[in-house]
Amino acid sequence: MVRVEKCYFCSTSVYPGHGTAFVRNDSKVFRFCTSKCHKNFKMKRNPRKVRWTKAFRKAAGKEMTIDSTLDFEKRRNIPVRYDRELVQTTIKAMKRVGEIKKRRELAFWKTRMAASRDKHRAHRKKTLEAAKASAVKGLLKPTVVSESPKIREKIKATKSRSALVQGEGRSMGMDVD
Amino acid sequence: MGRLRRSRAHHARRDVHRAARTRVRARDIDQIQFEDLDPKRRAELEAQPLDHELPGLGQHYCVECAKYYETDEALKSHWRSKVHKRRVKQLKEKPYTIEEAEMAAGLGREQRKPRVTSMEDIT
Repeated sequence: MVRVEKCYFCSTSVYPGHGTAFVRNDSKVFRFCTSKCHKNFKMKRNPRKVRWTKAFRKAAGKEMTIDSTLDFEKRRNIPVRYDRELVQTTIKAMKRVGEIKKRRELAFWKTRMAASRDKHRAHRKKTLEAAKASAVKGLLKPTVVSESPKIREKIKATKSRSALVQGEGRSMGMDVD
Repeated sequence: MGRLRRSRAHHARRDVHRAARTRVRARDIDQIQFEDLDPKRRAELEAQPLDHELPGLGQHYCVECAKYYETDEALKSHWRSKVHKRRVKQLKEKPYTIEEAEMAAGLGREQRKPRVTSMEDIT
């Protein structure tokens, strides 16, 4: 039967005529979208620990796991008799559910980012304070002394530079290098 | 002197083709977790009948690592090793299954409802 299967490793859709399947000697069928996923399986990697897989993203809380929009897609082993009305309503529902899901995913992402931003900010503040404390401890005086002459020199150099003054490689002249 | 080596510095077995040949294919982690670690099955595996084709006549088997050893001594030293301990730790994790891959993709399994036989069928 033709079906859109899911990749064992990365959980993307595997369309008919694509990917490979591995049947283990206990008759379990492992489907793979690409040779990349197949190779990773052969290396006996755990998809939950490989960062680019859906399983990782779900396990690490990077994507929604508990949501009513995720409960619609189901594997059915009992055929349903064709009904024009039913198909139409199903397609309509699919579109609507997709919209809702998109919106919820965006909201989820925003809250996740906000939380991580706070975390980052706190971390940065902490490291900055630690750096300051260490600077105050030892090298307060030498840093101040060493900084000021450098800045003065820089200012002098910029002042003397002018397009009107010949030389310095900025003005045009007849000299041949 | 230039760069000596950046890859293959840690004994990683990267020859996937060799490792994935059917005749050397080792048992998967989930197979061990679901089947082999079951006490009954474990006892069976640890007391196998003599087999001339297997290393050590199939008498020294490590269930966790799915590997035969030549002698009891070798098996015991394997149990003390890092490889074995790492494997034991790995086996304590939740097994990854096809169902989990499908759930991650948002594809659930339909729960079997008791089949309702209509009145027409009965009469």
